[in-house]
Amino acid sequence: MSSVAMVEAKAITKSVHTQEGELIILHEMSLAVMVGESVAITGASGSGKSTLLGILAGLDVPSSGDIILNNNVLTALDEEGRAKVRADNVGFIFQSFQLLPGLTALENVMLPLELRGNKAAKSLATDFLAHVGLEKRLNHYPQQLSGGEQQRVAVARAFASQPRILFADEPTGNLDSTTGARIIELLFEMNRAQGTTLIFITHEDRLAELCQKQIELAAGAIVSSRK
Amino acid sequence: MLAFKLLLRNWRSGELKLLGVSLILAVAVLSGISIFTDRLESTLVVQSNSILGADVVISGSQPLNPLWAEAATAADIKHTQATFFMSVIYAGDEMLLASVKAVDVGYPLRGQFEISDIPYAINPNDISIAQSIPLQGEVWGDSRLLSLLKIKVGDKIAVGEYELRVSHILIREPDGVNQLSSFGARLVMNAADLPLTKIIQPGGKIDYQWLLASDDTEKLKTFIEELKPQLSKNQKIENIDSSRASLSNTLKTAKNFLLLTAVIAVLLAGVAIAIAARQFSERHTNQVALMKSLGVSAFRIRSLYFSQLFLLGVLAACIGLCFGVVIQQLVASSLQQLYHIVLVQSSLYPYVLSFLSGLICVTCFALPALWFLPKVPPLKILRRELAVSMPQIGLQAGLALLAIVLLVVLFSRDIKIALIISAAIIGVLVITFIMALLLLQLSKKLALSLGGVWRLAFASMQRRKGQSMVQILVFSLAMMLLLTLTIVRTSLIADWKIQIPEDAPNHFLGNINSADVSDIRIWIEQHKIKVAPVYPDVRGRLTQINGVEPTEELRNKNNSLRRELNLTWSAVLADGNKLLDGNWWDSWEKNNPQLVGVSVEVETAKSLELKIGDQLHFSIGGLDLQAEVASFRSVDWKSMKQNFFFIFEPYALDKFSPTYGTSIFVPKEHKISLNQFLRSHPTILMIDFGQIIENIQKIINQVSDGIQLVLWLTLVGGCLVLLAAVMSSIDSRKQEAGLLRALGSPRRFILGGVLIEFAIFGFLSGLIAIIGAEFLLFSLQLFVFKNPLQPHYIYWLFSPLIGCIFVAGLGVACCRHVVTTPPAIVLREAI
Repeated sequence: MSSVAMVEAKAITKSVHTQEGELIILHEMSLAVMVGESVAITGASGSGKSTLLGILAGLDVPSSGDIILNNNVLTALDEEGRAKVRADNVGFIFQSFQLLPGLTALENVMLPLELRGNKAAKSLATDFLAHVGLEKRLNHYPQQLSGGEQQRVAVARAFASQPRILFADEPTGNLDSTTGARIIELLFEMNRAQGTTLIFITHEDRLAELCQKQIELAAGAIVSSRK
Repeated sequence: MLAFKLLLRNWRSGELKLLGVSLILAVAVLSGISIFTDRLESTLVVQSNSILGADVVISGSQPLNPLWAEAATAADIKHTQATFFMSVIYAGDEMLLASVKAVDVGYPLRGQFEISDIPYAINPNDISIAQSIPLQGEVWGDSRLLSLLKIKVGDKIAVGEYELRVSHILIREPDGVNQLSSFGARLVMNAADLPLTKIIQPGGKIDYQWLLASDDTEKLKTFIEELKPQLSKNQKIENIDSSRASLSNTLKTAKNFLLLTAVIAVLLAGVAIAIAARQFSERHTNQVALMKSLGVSAFRIRSLYFSQLFLLGVLAACIGLCFGVVIQQLVASSLQQLYHIVLVQSSLYPYVLSFLSGLICVTCFALPALWFLPKVPPLKILRRELAVSMPQIGLQAGLALLAIVLLVVLFSRDIKIALIISAAIIGVLVITFIMALLLLQLSKKLALSLGGVWRLAFASMQRRKGQSMVQILVFSLAMMLLLTLTIVRTSLIADWKIQIPEDAPNHFLGNINSADVSDIRIWIEQHKIKVAPVYPDVRGRLTQINGVEPTEELRNKNNSLRRELNLTWSAVLADGNKLLDGNWWDSWEKNNPQLVGVSVEVETAKSLELKIGDQLHFSIGGLDLQAEVASFRSVDWKSMKQNFFFIFEPYALDKFSPTYGTSIFVPKEHKISLNQFLRSHPTILMIDFGQIIENIQKIINQVSDGIQLVLWLTLVGGCLVLLAAVMSSIDSRKQEAGLLRALGSPRRFILGGVLIEFAIFGFLSGLIAIIGAEFLLFSLQLFVFKNPLQPHYIYWLFSPLIGCIFVAGLGVACCRHVVTTPPAIVLREAI
């Protein structure tokens, strides 16, 4: 772990307008995640975890405050600028896997590589799928795979583009504990191999404990931060 | 390259299939129709012109100006001449007044001479097509000429001062527009022999025809336009439009119908494309969100999706074009088999246009649905519930209308049909909106008060308000267009069939002596031929109106003042004649007992500026006849029956020793017998216009068959639209059915709900469709086809009923697999 921040939130607030008036989801929150660090963001439903993840990853913008991702001030950029930062730095894993149903496992992993113009997309994707133990499932469609297998494809897809930081939104939320444990193992293994910074949103204490840092949210604010 | 890869993956995953198939269908129907119409039109023009012998004929009493001929040659326009005159022909002691046609090399430019060595030949093996005009020193005479002159092939006859050998018997010839040609026996000779006959003298009654033809219709048109100012008063331009008005009308109506069909086909395919594109883009919002989360820019996403669409457009246009070519070739081949008609090749224009139409469809129908995709926020990947602003339906509809107008203008340059259809569509939109809104309001109440399967159906309508609205709209639109097409087609074909019934008279018998009339009647009776009225016929001129000779101006304006007229008397008003003013004989009261009554054809009366009670003075064979105008009649010129401009009161012409004439339908099997009868009565003149009727019937059949096929193709398009509309709600239905099945609902219960829901949609759409179709038909009949208006009661019953059955069936068929597949799979697929 380095002492350089990979992503930093400076007094970010996120509020939305509702019929009942303004609803504050995140309130003047500040945090920093160092390069290579693994962080678990925990908290009850509605505590603002997903909103924080979206803002940290540059998928959304805060109502006020700044986000700096790998030295890029996201809040100073427009959507196109943020897209470029994401393309260069960010990977995702989602609770519902978000595999494209019309594409095979291999094609799902190839897609981000192809979008970056990587000529060796196919061989790289094959390697990553083999690494997650799916070398015999390359040409299977998501519907033909089990939940655990689908998430492994998502892991392979996330790491294939070798992101500097990986955001995982409840990566084991839809999986049984054994399969979930295997996925977590995979994530940390790849984190070690590539030095990727990991930010998890999770309800699972087991996963949170494996992380170097745990941040607990409640009602849009950090209630505890442990290392 | 990546776009192509993505396109292939999307195709393989089935997401592009409906869009692709709709595009292919649009191009296939459009290219099929346009190539077929182009070929049919060219063929019909060539075929119709073969009746004329040319594309355009300039006829008059003056010989052709040699400078014009030079100009035509220079303009690369084919041209030749024919000279018509009446002359007494001699063969030994026999003599006969015949109609002679002296033709130049190249005659006819369209159509052909059919000749034989056997008089009255009917058997195709005995008839051959002449490869040239008669050689110098030779003539071709018709069977009647040979029979009346008592000669055979190889004998000599004298035309004027020149003796020629009869080398063949003339069976059929391009009919020409020559007035003289309908009298007497016919003779065709080489124009090079004409000076030797010394017949052409100054002041002689000669009709000179200059025949022109070119495959480049525009060039010919320009040439004629330039020539027009140089024509003298007595020279007139004849083409198929002017010489065969009813045929020309048939062609125009058919073209309008095919155009209407093409527009409707495009519209249907367009709706299917738009729905499929919308469905595709809805399914791709997640993919785009994912791509955006991976850092792909909006510009890149737009270019990736638009490139896919463009590639799809090009591929679909190519495939559609191939299908279109095959389809039209199939029809062309069937025409060839059925009617022995070979269609001429199409120009390149419809091919290019059809290909372009694929791209226009993509741009105007599919692109708007995909326009919003790059705007999908990347955050949607985390929050599925995040709303995505879809393009406005109004924008989509506007662009679709633009596409229609653009395509119609490209295909036909006829904006009127496009405007009428657009107005009808807007009308249907409004009606649908109101009715659908009422239905949805009602369903809200019914969902609460009804139980079981009914509740499920009404609740489903409520849940998918927007989709329900769009579905009713699409069903109504598709059904309206298909109804319109079916009704127009049925009435058009029926109208044409009435115009030329199967037993339309195909022979005219004239110059019958009063002594022969009974023989004719006996022959007709013996052969069980439909009895036709036998009209007395005297030839006379109209010399004075109300005691005043017509002015030069009136004479020039009215053909009936310049030529001998066929006059008749009749006690009854003939079929197809309608009394418009005055009284028929049974209720007519003379003003002057010295005058006989005459009924005048209304258009002639108008051009002569006649009023009821006017006095007309006729000169008949040097004798005078004074008549009083008793009535005006309209006449159905489209019928092939005998018609007269002037019909006198009974027996008024008896003192002028009339001959008699009748038009009858002689079936093929009695033709030999008729020829034998004519041989024994050689003075009787027979004109066989069976060939003309056959040609017109052939053309009508061709057009009808073409229309039939095009209608089927359009029906396929309509079904595709309905399918697309049903499929647009299938995803959410799948999920819902999966859930219901998981909770233990029986299959019958879920399908029952779907059946009721779609049956109501179908019924309502059928009702809206017939309202819209009546409005559309009303406008079309009024502005385009110019037919009398009439409501279509039977369709008011059938349209909602068929809509109900068909849409319900389609809905159940599409949703069937949702309930037959295990719920776990359905739910997993729906993730």
